[in-house]
Amino acid sequence: MTFNWVGKPIPRQDALTKVTGEVRYMSDLTMPGMLWGRILRSPHPHALIRSIDISKAKAMPGVVVVLTHADIGGLNAYGIVIQDQPVLCSDKVRFAGDSVAVLAAETKEIADTALQLIEVTYELLPGVFDMHQALLPESPLVHEKGNILRHTAVTHGDISAGFAAADVIVERDYLTSRPMSAYLETEGGVAVVDERGLLTVYCGSQYPDRDATQIARAIGMPKEKIRVVGNPVGGAFGGKDEITIQIHLALLALASGRPVKLVLSREESVLTCWKKHPMHIRMKTGASREGDLTAHEVSIWADTGAYASLGGTILHSAIEHCSGPYRVPHTKIEGWSIYTNNSISGAMRGFGANQVTFAMETQMEILAESLGLDRLSFRVQNGLKDHDLGPLGNELVTAMGPVQTLQAAGATELWQHRAEYKAHPSRPWKKRGVGVAAAIKGCGLGFRMPDFGAASVELLPTGSFRVRVGCPEIGQGNSIAYAQIAAEILRCHVDQIEVITGDTGDTPESGTSTASRSIYAAGNAVLSAAQKMRSSLAAVFGSQEGEEVEVEIEIRENRVVGNGIDFSFAQIAAQLDSWGAGCLQIGRFDAPKAAAEIKGAYGLPHLVFGTNAHVVLVEVDTLSGQVEVLQAVSVSDAGRVINLQGLEGQSEGGTVMGMGYALLEDIIIEQGIVQNANFNSYILPTAVDCPPIETITVEVLEETGPFGAKGVGEVVCISITPAITNAIYDAVGVRITEIPATLERVLAGLSGAATFSAR
Amino acid sequence: MEKTTVRFVVNNQSVEVSAIPSARLLDILREELDLTGTKEGCGQGECGACTVLLEGEAVNACLVLVGQVEGKRIETIEGLAQGSILHPLQQAFIDEGAVQCGYCTPGMVLAAKALLAENPTPTETEIRVAIAGNLCRCTGYTKIIKAIQSAAWRART
Repeated sequence: MTFNWVGKPIPRQDALTKVTGEVRYMSDLTMPGMLWGRILRSPHPHALIRSIDISKAKAMPGVVVVLTHADIGGLNAYGIVIQDQPVLCSDKVRFAGDSVAVLAAETKEIADTALQLIEVTYELLPGVFDMHQALLPESPLVHEKGNILRHTAVTHGDISAGFAAADVIVERDYLTSRPMSAYLETEGGVAVVDERGLLTVYCGSQYPDRDATQIARAIGMPKEKIRVVGNPVGGAFGGKDEITIQIHLALLALASGRPVKLVLSREESVLTCWKKHPMHIRMKTGASREGDLTAHEVSIWADTGAYASLGGTILHSAIEHCSGPYRVPHTKIEGWSIYTNNSISGAMRGFGANQVTFAMETQMEILAESLGLDRLSFRVQNGLKDHDLGPLGNELVTAMGPVQTLQAAGATELWQHRAEYKAHPSRPWKKRGVGVAAAIKGCGLGFRMPDFGAASVELLPTGSFRVRVGCPEIGQGNSIAYAQIAAEILRCHVDQIEVITGDTGDTPESGTSTASRSIYAAGNAVLSAAQKMRSSLAAVFGSQEGEEVEVEIEIRENRVVGNGIDFSFAQIAAQLDSWGAGCLQIGRFDAPKAAAEIKGAYGLPHLVFGTNAHVVLVEVDTLSGQVEVLQAVSVSDAGRVINLQGLEGQSEGGTVMGMGYALLEDIIIEQGIVQNANFNSYILPTAVDCPPIETITVEVLEETGPFGAKGVGEVVCISITPAITNAIYDAVGVRITEIPATLERVLAGLSGAATFSAR
Repeated sequence: MEKTTVRFVVNNQSVEVSAIPSARLLDILREELDLTGTKEGCGQGECGACTVLLEGEAVNACLVLVGQVEGKRIETIEGLAQGSILHPLQQAFIDEGAVQCGYCTPGMVLAAKALLAENPTPTETEIRVAIAGNLCRCTGYTKIIKAIQSAAWRART
């Protein structure tokens, strides 16, 4: 099939105002009469609040409102799944960074000073900072209901029989770190109430419609009176899926009656942002002499921090993805998501799959080595295919790409000639290695959650089209993909499609821009709306006063031909308008679900999966332990690629994010206190750290996706992490079982010391 | 501290602001002059989102006090395009797909402009070093480097 727009590397439409600096992010907005807000944060990880005295702050000239829990009209709590996080704490704080009070003042400086005048008396409580300790009966309770947010056990097949059939069994423990999304735009925005009482919250978000629901519930106001504008946003990566500061903004604007702006400093953002769950993973995996996986027993402990948010769902995602992209006939998987006083863990690109894939892809290497098998062929042999049973026993009924993706990785120049690439390190004390790994990641929200996309296509009087989609553009490029999908169906130039996203006042609710779903779910909705628009264009031909008449039409370069008549889009718009028929079409797509839910595992399984593999060349300095990534190849199965430039952008950015996870990034929390709250001590990969990255696409088409597309926004950042740690082993024989692979850990491995630390 | 009048040139226009001399140039640009293309990412000179050109040199506006720029020339992202004609770097960033969320883009473009002014034919390594103080979380830098190479090449041909 040939396409006019689909698959092409079309530059994004929003790039123009981004390169000129004209675009206004939500944290750039100002309004007449605007106040500045600040949030008072708890300095203690676990304490009772004995009193809050706001009188001095309130009395300070220039301070307009100071609010505490007593001023909250609705439910003083939020959370996507379980609402257990107070908007403003009343009796207890559970992490250093918990919100205690908010204020708004005439200037930033006054707000800063007034914040110091709020007097809170705390009674310190012993905290729990180790998730294993949190499970002990004598441990302090983060919440009264106990420290286990979610415990889930799933079995498939007969694990004893599986291990009995194994010739080699590998059992290892793995520890993963606590990175953060580190979007460059911190949480920020403006809220304003207009003369009709409509509250508008402008704040970077991945799901404005759900933000409106959560704001409404907390402030006790009908959702219909709340508008949330969520984009443009300066990066999100999962961290802006849950509420950040939207409710605080809303409270201040309502109480003051004036626009209020609130922007977190980087330090405040690091303290309070949603971090990736640190996990302790124990894997016991068996394989036969012939190289078939036979059994996989997994225990997962996840530190979810002080509040629930998506902690339970992320644990389930980890459970579903803990066999990697491989077929295992017998599995026994158990996991605990555990409350601690260690900040808060939540959604971050990969959603629980990064941690377990790192572990599984290390198991695969050890197994291959033990069996004397080629590590890539061993993977291909076990790669999931269409109609295989997944790790939880469910049949995989969509297009699975692991085998094709791994084969493409095996065919790369870097893999084929790895011996030569390794042969000439830059210094005598450095050693090179080549690593490979693969990953799958489910697209969409799984079995239980409503998962739909909605979009509208409107024919404008100018003869161009406006596409509206609720899923915000969070930087990933979904909006240009929507434009290409619409242009493909409507046979117009892509520049004639204008796309608006992420505004509850203007765009149809389409779900969240998370879970690698926005192209799949909302892209299908755009496709549907554009097809309806095509049909409505046909209705103009040979019909009287807008009555439906079946006419074959052909759309050619902005003109529609049918019944021997030839109209421009603008003429059709005028005709429809004269009939009062309207020129707006709505498309909806309800994502298909698996045949049945996995027993005891709420929301599992997913139906559609994207796949990625990475091949990477590293050089390890045996004197310092430093690992340099010299070259990376990312092989992506996104199904049909809608925008090649966008796919490459996701792949390259994901590769670097997963590289940071492998080598650098970890929020250090000691006794509940974050030790590295800015970029001078939380180190992100820079341009000099990053390798050249090549992206190869493998299009295993998924028939339920728009033009065959799946989502890969997350999976692109998953396989790189174990590819790097596997390359370190290939270089120097040090098996990394705890990430990040810091200099100290690599050196300890080189010296034969134990690298595994209790966390 | 008392407010004083500080005069300087932004994007070829003389401006006069009344400010505490220790105010950050970043805040003056964003809040007094409404030049919000200059972003704040960390407030401590680590991320480069607030990069502007001070007498042609790339600096972090969060670390420059407004009192230091008296009589100096500053260029922000808003000053690059000539009307609707984009600067070659801006056009290259669009064409090469170097923009995703876009929050680092103004700083990246200005850091690249300072590089090319000094070294019109940079190697890939020189480009990487020149933008090493500018963090990007979306792109993996690959397309940003290509865009700078492409703009440098266009300027030569």
